[in-house]
Amino acid sequence: MVIGKGILIGHLVTIRRFLLTFTHDFKIGEFFKRRGGGELAVDFFTRPKNQTTVKQDYTTEGIFTVEYPDERLPVYERFRVLPVLVYDNEDGNVRCTCCNICAKVCPPQCIWMSQAHSPEGKPVTLPEEYYIDMDVCMNCGMCSEYCPFDAIKMDHNFELSNYERHQTHIYSLQDLLVSSEFYAKTHPDAYASPEEVAERGKVTKKKDQRLQKALQLSRG
Amino acid sequence: MSAQSTARPEWTVVIDPVLQKELEQHIFVTSWPKLLEMVDTVYNWGRRSSLWPLGFGLACCAIEMICSACSRFDISRFGAEVFRGSPRQADVMIVSGTVTKTMMPMIARLYDQMPEPKYVISMGACANGGGPFKEGYNVVSGVDKYLPVDVYIPGCPPSPQALLNGLIALQHKIDGESLADAVWYKPEVDRDIPVPVLGPDLIDVRFLEITAEKTAQGLLDKSQAAMPKPLIIPAPQPEKPAEEPATPAPVALSAADRLRAKMAGTPAPAPTAEEVKPAAKPAAPAKKIKKAEARPTLAWLGNEKLKSLSDRLNEKFGAGTSEIIDAGLLLPADKLRAISEFLKSDHATRYNYLASLQSVHYEDCIEVNYHLDSTVHPGTVILLRVRVAESEGQGELPTVSDIWPGADFQEREVYDMMGVKFTNHPNLTRILMWEGYGYYPLRKDFLEPYYEGPTKVFDSRVEKGHGYHYRAEEINPYGTNMKIPKDFTGWDNLSALDDIKGKNLMPGGVQISELDTDQFVVSMGPQHPSTHGVFRMNIRLDGETVVGLKPVMGYMHRNHEKIGERNTYLMNFPFTDRLDYITSMGNNFGYALAVEQLMGDDVKVPERADYIRVIMAELTRVASHMWGIGFFLNDIGAFFTPALYAIEERELILDLFEWASGSRMMCNYFRFGGVAFDLPKGWKERCERFVYDRLDGKIDELDRFLSANEILLDRSKGVGALTAEQAIAFSTGGPVLRASGVNYDIRRAAPYSIYDRFDFNVVVGKNGDLYDRYYVRLLEMRESVKILKQAIRDLPEGPILPGKKTYQIKVPAGESYSRVENPKGELGFYVVSDGSPTAYRYHIRSPSFLNLTALETMCVGATVADVVGILGSLDIVLGEVDR
Repeated sequence: MVIGKGILIGHLVTIRRFLLTFTHDFKIGEFFKRRGGGELAVDFFTRPKNQTTVKQDYTTEGIFTVEYPDERLPVYERFRVLPVLVYDNEDGNVRCTCCNICAKVCPPQCIWMSQAHSPEGKPVTLPEEYYIDMDVCMNCGMCSEYCPFDAIKMDHNFELSNYERHQTHIYSLQDLLVSSEFYAKTHPDAYASPEEVAERGKVTKKKDQRLQKALQLSRG
Repeated sequence: MSAQSTARPEWTVVIDPVLQKELEQHIFVTSWPKLLEMVDTVYNWGRRSSLWPLGFGLACCAIEMICSACSRFDISRFGAEVFRGSPRQADVMIVSGTVTKTMMPMIARLYDQMPEPKYVISMGACANGGGPFKEGYNVVSGVDKYLPVDVYIPGCPPSPQALLNGLIALQHKIDGESLADAVWYKPEVDRDIPVPVLGPDLIDVRFLEITAEKTAQGLLDKSQAAMPKPLIIPAPQPEKPAEEPATPAPVALSAADRLRAKMAGTPAPAPTAEEVKPAAKPAAPAKKIKKAEARPTLAWLGNEKLKSLSDRLNEKFGAGTSEIIDAGLLLPADKLRAISEFLKSDHATRYNYLASLQSVHYEDCIEVNYHLDSTVHPGTVILLRVRVAESEGQGELPTVSDIWPGADFQEREVYDMMGVKFTNHPNLTRILMWEGYGYYPLRKDFLEPYYEGPTKVFDSRVEKGHGYHYRAEEINPYGTNMKIPKDFTGWDNLSALDDIKGKNLMPGGVQISELDTDQFVVSMGPQHPSTHGVFRMNIRLDGETVVGLKPVMGYMHRNHEKIGERNTYLMNFPFTDRLDYITSMGNNFGYALAVEQLMGDDVKVPERADYIRVIMAELTRVASHMWGIGFFLNDIGAFFTPALYAIEERELILDLFEWASGSRMMCNYFRFGGVAFDLPKGWKERCERFVYDRLDGKIDELDRFLSANEILLDRSKGVGALTAEQAIAFSTGGPVLRASGVNYDIRRAAPYSIYDRFDFNVVVGKNGDLYDRYYVRLLEMRESVKILKQAIRDLPEGPILPGKKTYQIKVPAGESYSRVENPKGELGFYVVSDGSPTAYRYHIRSPSFLNLTALETMCVGATVADVVGILGSLDIVLGEVDR
């Protein structure tokens, strides 16, 4: 074996990758589109107006960089950062029934809640207070996985940097609420899954029954 | 205009006063602050665009930080790619990961050494506020207890994009700064942090007096005395004939009673239970706790052979020597060494491989137990039990670290965690905590500073109806994660200059005759770019030759086992992700197997789930080996190009993980009996294409790129060699063991899951040097691809869980030890269950930890530069070393 042959071959590998960096994007014809603000060559020098999502998979060659914040990786539906509580769009009701299962499965025990009470002092199936400590939460998704009411879900927002933690990192009920519409948008597959459709159907039916009962009462 | 004016009319321009004011406000420079503002713009722009981070990583988040510096996220677009090895050249400290008490003095030192202006980014939940490990006894509840933090990045771990977001937030902050009030130009402002001291606990010297005062009052002990304590069960006894069933409490109580007792924290209410029970239902026989099948691990010697081995031992060492308890041999401590030597050298199945050594604290004893396997007849595991006195610091055992050198660190760990002394151990010092730490933390009677109850679920921290919730800090009188024995007196002797952690680990060394120089000891780490985390080596050097080396670890000890004994079985899954954070799927696998072994036939993993598990585990292996090879090359000088190439493939695998499980690194994807979710639509096809069309080519490219490179050959051939005998003796595992020519792969030696269905070769090296370890990893990736192709091809449709998904896991009483071939080596989970929803004892046999046992032997005689390469070839992950 010639001394230096291995190094030379290695150099060829790096040169190949170097050239690929330039040729690949040209080849697929998305060079200007992806790197700049539009289709034209001049647009290469402008900033993209919208954030573009860059999909990378087994065919990806050449430049591998995703230029966050202008570009970003696709967000997968199951991607989980912090939990949120879902309320129904139609009537604004929080889906959470304060059954405490999320707190029971939470590995670092970062969920605390207390049950709401009716004016007569009877417990109601609603949370009065609900806190999640973001400095303890381990983003494991157990709460949403085991929630029987599809009330707590994992949000996709990862851009949460801030300058203070003592006042802001314990999220209360108000901070946690998102609408079911929003959830349906971020989690289309899960929203359309038979389990969640069935659960929603059950809730609607129950609400309907309650409504009928109330109507009967008012009539009678 | 007055008539006296001498000015020519065209000189005086009448300006609209409103416009004049506006111009003065926005355009004209009319005052010093205004001028400064202009300078500020440039000054801030310069600083924000060249933030050089300190090359400093603590835990899982550091991996994401490294990823953000690699090709996909490329932090250099923000002018921050220059990760500095030295604090003196760095602007920003990214505190990436769990801040432990052992590491905190070092972090404070690093911060103090950074020149002004300096910034701190606190990355991840742990650095922000303790994170999931907050309740641990060795974890600082947020780095802002000591350092001023500029930006917090929530997430566990924050993805690289989130880190970049944090960096942008810091840039915005810098944009708002002004030279006029920059603190670092004010000589009267001292921003240095007093270095905290490792005493009986981590002591912040700023609050020394108040700490001493509170300790003398014993406030914490008082408040904890009222709390329910963890239940302590008696050690398992030999099977008695069934005529006396219900006398002692634990066997007689039903699982529900015991659970209630555990929840209430009262020690097993034996008398009350017996008083109440006959009254309530007189005739009903006491319900027994369901017991798991007694077997040390899945592939073991078997009942008959164990019986004959026990008889043989009784015959040879005197009657009554050995007694079978739950498929383990109970041996007397004084005969342990003789029996060990017999088992290792004379017995037909040579038990030359100490798979795992751990201890359990029972009511009546501390049991130290040894899992032995043989590399000659793999899969014939036996379990030895030795029992010593229960009371604190009283237990004593003869060491077996000369018979199985792999016992060295594990015995030290038992000493550190349980207080059992090992006589004649060459270096019996604390390994994870530091000398002088006040407690033996894994004893059941040790309550942590943030102790809330014996098992989770804890009480709600909401004060009902008051809109108030409290944090863990508020249940501790010190207001922080601190616990000091009441009788501690050495307050005046505490000194930050005293490096307690590494002091007792000064390597001895032989004088090399040719060199006429003084020997000196170099402390390498815990903050060092090449130590793969917060790992430290005390190296004795003669010239440049290493003549002695002692690893100092525990800088990332995050109390995984203690926390695991309070978690329910299900809760432990996400914690196992954070052991070896490069291989979270593999860790999940091992833990699932351990508990499934106890649950026996209750959980029959469906076919599809089995295949998914194998696919995930093998993808993990490829990802981990890619990372390992990349950073090994980094360590021997090929700075970052190979790592960048390798990490690209890892990123694509992480995409697959994220798609299926929801997280890049902390997958939390396995459940008992299956996996958490089915594969999303299109996952299989993409994975198939990735495996068939890409991976082979990329591994070939890596091979072509590196394997024949003369510099690599020169640096790695013949360096850090381990012979087969040494590799076995040191209980090394994985590529390290196989590179030395030992054909021992758990997937073949003790097949688990469905690995017996796949056609693959166990890759074995010859020389056991760095090159072989590198090459074994490379070839193993090819074998993994082979397995992946078969698994994807055969992946059946069907359910992914045996029954309905539930969070209530019923685990029968018993003990189990699961072994999986993780990318780093044999990963073992030892679980003792008492039938309650939480594990009674939970121990991890981590491959990285045990591979380090061989480090000194490999390094002696090499140079410092080689030490870096040798450490890189072990491919350790500190999350697993220190747990």
